[in-house]
Amino acid sequence: MNAPTPALVAPRPERLRLVGQRRQILAVMHQRLMFGMLVFAGIIAIIVLRILWLAAFGDHAGRKEGATSFVPERGDIVDRRGQPLARTIDAWTIAIHPSKVIGDKLALARQLAQLMPEHSEEQYFALFRSGKPFFYLRRRASPELVEAVNALGEPGLAIEREPDRLYPQTTLAAHVIGYTDIDGRGVAGMERAFDGYLSDARTRGEPLTLSIDSRLQQALEHELLDAMTHFSAIGAAGVVMDIHTGEVLAMTSMPQLNPNAAGQGSDEARFNRATLGVYELGSTFKPFTVAMAMDSGIIKSFGKIYNCPHELHVYGHVVHDTHPYGRQCSVAEIMKESSNIGTAQIADQVGAQRQKYFLKKMGFLDPVAIELKERGRTLTPGSRWGPFETMTVGFGHGIAVTPMHLATGYATLFNGGVYHPATLLKVDRNHPVAPGRRVFSEDTSYKMRALLRLVVTQGTGRKADAPGYRLGGKTGTAEKLLNGHYTSSAVVTSFAGVFPMDEPRYVMVMMLDDPKATAETYGFHTAAWNIGPAFGVTVSRIAPMLGVRPDRNREPDMSGVLPFVHETKPEE
Amino acid sequence: MSARSFRSVFMVASCAGAALGCYLVSLRVASERSALEGVETQIVTTQRDIRLLQTEIGTRGRLAQLERWNVKVLALSAPSADQFLNGSFELAKLTQPERHIDIQAPVVLAAAPTPERNQAPIGEAETDDSGGPAAVSRDSLLHQASLKTGSREAPAPLAVTPTPEPVRTKSTDRPVAAAKSAPKKSVDKPGLAAAKRMTKPVRIAKTDPLAPLPGKPARTTARDTGSDR
Repeated sequence: MNAPTPALVAPRPERLRLVGQRRQILAVMHQRLMFGMLVFAGIIAIIVLRILWLAAFGDHAGRKEGATSFVPERGDIVDRRGQPLARTIDAWTIAIHPSKVIGDKLALARQLAQLMPEHSEEQYFALFRSGKPFFYLRRRASPELVEAVNALGEPGLAIEREPDRLYPQTTLAAHVIGYTDIDGRGVAGMERAFDGYLSDARTRGEPLTLSIDSRLQQALEHELLDAMTHFSAIGAAGVVMDIHTGEVLAMTSMPQLNPNAAGQGSDEARFNRATLGVYELGSTFKPFTVAMAMDSGIIKSFGKIYNCPHELHVYGHVVHDTHPYGRQCSVAEIMKESSNIGTAQIADQVGAQRQKYFLKKMGFLDPVAIELKERGRTLTPGSRWGPFETMTVGFGHGIAVTPMHLATGYATLFNGGVYHPATLLKVDRNHPVAPGRRVFSEDTSYKMRALLRLVVTQGTGRKADAPGYRLGGKTGTAEKLLNGHYTSSAVVTSFAGVFPMDEPRYVMVMMLDDPKATAETYGFHTAAWNIGPAFGVTVSRIAPMLGVRPDRNREPDMSGVLPFVHETKPEE
Repeated sequence: MSARSFRSVFMVASCAGAALGCYLVSLRVASERSALEGVETQIVTTQRDIRLLQTEIGTRGRLAQLERWNVKVLALSAPSADQFLNGSFELAKLTQPERHIDIQAPVVLAAAPTPERNQAPIGEAETDDSGGPAAVSRDSLLHQASLKTGSREAPAPLAVTPTPEPVRTKSTDRPVAAAKSAPKKSVDKPGLAAAKRMTKPVRIAKTDPLAPLPGKPARTTARDTGSDR
C-alpha cells in the first residue's frame, strides 16, 4: 500500500512524458512572455523615440501653419499703376439663430428695427417665428452698427467676420472689373474671366494687374457721363486703347453700375455696351473703306474724283447725303464731309469679297478678341451680302459691331496696319504683346493720317478738335432700328479718333446711344454736335496724362489731302 | 578597480548629460522658432490691418469723390496747349516783371537828359524861390513837353539854352497845359508851379535837381530788381 517514492521507483513512462510536456510548456510560456515583453518594450521604445523626435524636431502645440505671408481669400485686382480696384477684406456680418434667442423676441425685433430700419418690427418678428434656424440680418455691417447690436447682449445674435469683396473705386471701371456673387464667385467682367486665377490658392497672392489706368478711366467716365446727361442719352460707351500693344487703357459703359451692389443696378446698367452691345456705327466705318480701296490699288491718291450727285440711285435703292456736294468731288472731300454717296461708290469698287476679307482680318466678323466673357456677336448682312449691302457696309450701315471692335479697327489702321487683339491685362514681361497680323500696308496706314486729320481740321469733326494734340478722327451718326424700321428720331452717334496724328499712339472711341437735340445744337443730334465736343474735351484732358505733349506747331504731313479740297474755307 | 567598475555609470551619466544638453538646445531652438513665428503672425496681422486702412482711405478718397470736389469747389480744368512751354527760356519770358508806371518816377527819368544839367547854373536862383527841388525838376519836365508842342515856333530854339526860351514866349499859352499836368503829379505843387510861371518865366533849375533825380530812379530800380526776384 505504501506508495513507492519516485526516486526509488522507476518513473512510469506516462510520468516521464508529463515532465517532458511541462518543460515544453514552460519553454513556450517563456517564449511567449519574452515575446510579449519585447512587444511592450518595442512600443515603449517607439513612444520614447517619438517623444524624443518631437522634442528635438517637432512643432509645438501653438504653431500656426502657413501664416508667413498674407494671402487674401480672393486675389486683388489692381490697375496698371497698382491702384486697387477690387479687394477682399474681412467684413462684419450680423446673423441670428432664432432658436437660441433667450430674451423677449418682440422686444428684440423692436430694437433691431430701430438699428436696421430696412425691415419693420413686424417683419423681424415674423422672421423670428418662421422656424428657420439661421439667417443673415446684415452683411458688410458698419463697425458702429456691430457695436450697437453687440450691446443688445442677445446670445442668439451671431456677429462674425467674413471675407467680402469690396470695390474701393465704386463705379469706376465697373464693367471691366465685373462683380462677384454672394459666395465670392465672379459672375461678370474680369472677375468672371479670371475666376480661376483669383480664387486659386497658388495664384491669388499676386494681384491681377489690368491694363486700365484709373485716372484715364475716371476722366473718360466723367466726360462721357456729362455728355450723356447733357444730351439725355439712354446709354454711352467709351474705349481708350494703346494702338501699338492693344492694351485697353480705359473702357466704360453707361449707365453706371456700382459693383458693390450690383444686384441693385438695372439690367441696363449691368449691360456692357463697350464689348457686348453691337451698334451700327455709321460713318466711322468710312476710313476702313477708303483704306481697303487704297490697299487694293483702287485709290492711288486722295485726288481721285468721284461723281457726287445729290442722291445716288443704285440697285433699286437711293443713297442720301447730309451735306450733298452735287458735283464731282475728290476722296479727300468725300471723307471731309462724310459723303455716303462717294463712299458707296468706293465700296462698290472694292467689292463684297474683298470687303469681307478685310473685315475678317480686322476681326470684325468674329466676337471681339478680349479677355472678357461678355462679347457681342457682329451682325452682318450674312447671306444677303450683295452689291448694295457692300455699299451700306462701306459707310457703316447694315453691319453692327461693338465699340471695342471699332477701337481695334482704328488701332489696326493707324499703327502701321497690324492687327493686335485688344487686351485688358497690362503688357509687361509676364504678358507680352500678342502676335499681330498685317491687314493694311504701312503706306496706306501712313497716308490715312492726313485724311483723318483733315476731317477734324476742316470737316465734320471740327468741334472735336483739341488744339495742339493733333487729333484725327471721324464722326459717325447711325439711325437706330426701331420696330424693324430705321428712324431718324433715334440715332447712335459715335466718334473714333486717334492722337497725336503725326505719330499715332492712342485711339479713343466714344459713343452715345440715342442723344436728344438741345437748343445749343440747333436741333441737330448728329455726332458732330454731341459726342464731338465731348471727345475734344476728353482728349485735352487725358492726353497730358498719357504723355502726349500739345504743340500747335506740329501737324501730320497734309500734302496728300489739302490740294484736293476745293472748299478750304469751312462754312458754318 | 573602482574606477573601472564605475566606468559604466560614468558612461551612462555622460550620455544622459549629453542627451539632456541636446534636448535643451532643441528646446531653446523651438522656443526661438515659435517666437519668430509669433512675430511673423504679427506682421501678417499688421499687413492685413494696413490693407484694411488703405482700402478705407482709398474708398474715401476715390477718384469719383475727388472729381466731385473738383466740379463743386476747385473747378480745375485740363491745361490748354499754350500752358506747355518749350523749356526754361519760355518760362523765364513769362516771369519778366511787369513795368508798372509810377506817376513820379518814370516822368523824371524821361525828362532827365544830360543837356538839361548844363543849364543848371541858370536855374540855381530859381530853386531858392520854389523851395522844393522836386517841384523844380517837374517844372523842367513841363518845359520839355512844351518844347515839343512849341515846335511850331521856330525862332525860339535859337537861344543857346533851348528849353527855357520857348517857355518865355509861350508863357501865356502854356500855363493851361502846365496846370493840367501838374495836379496829376502831386496835390501840393500845382499852385506853386502856376505862381512861378506867372511871376518868373525863366525856370531852369538844375543844380539841386541833380539830387532828387538819381534818388528816384534808384528807388524804381530797387523795386524792379525786387520783383525780378
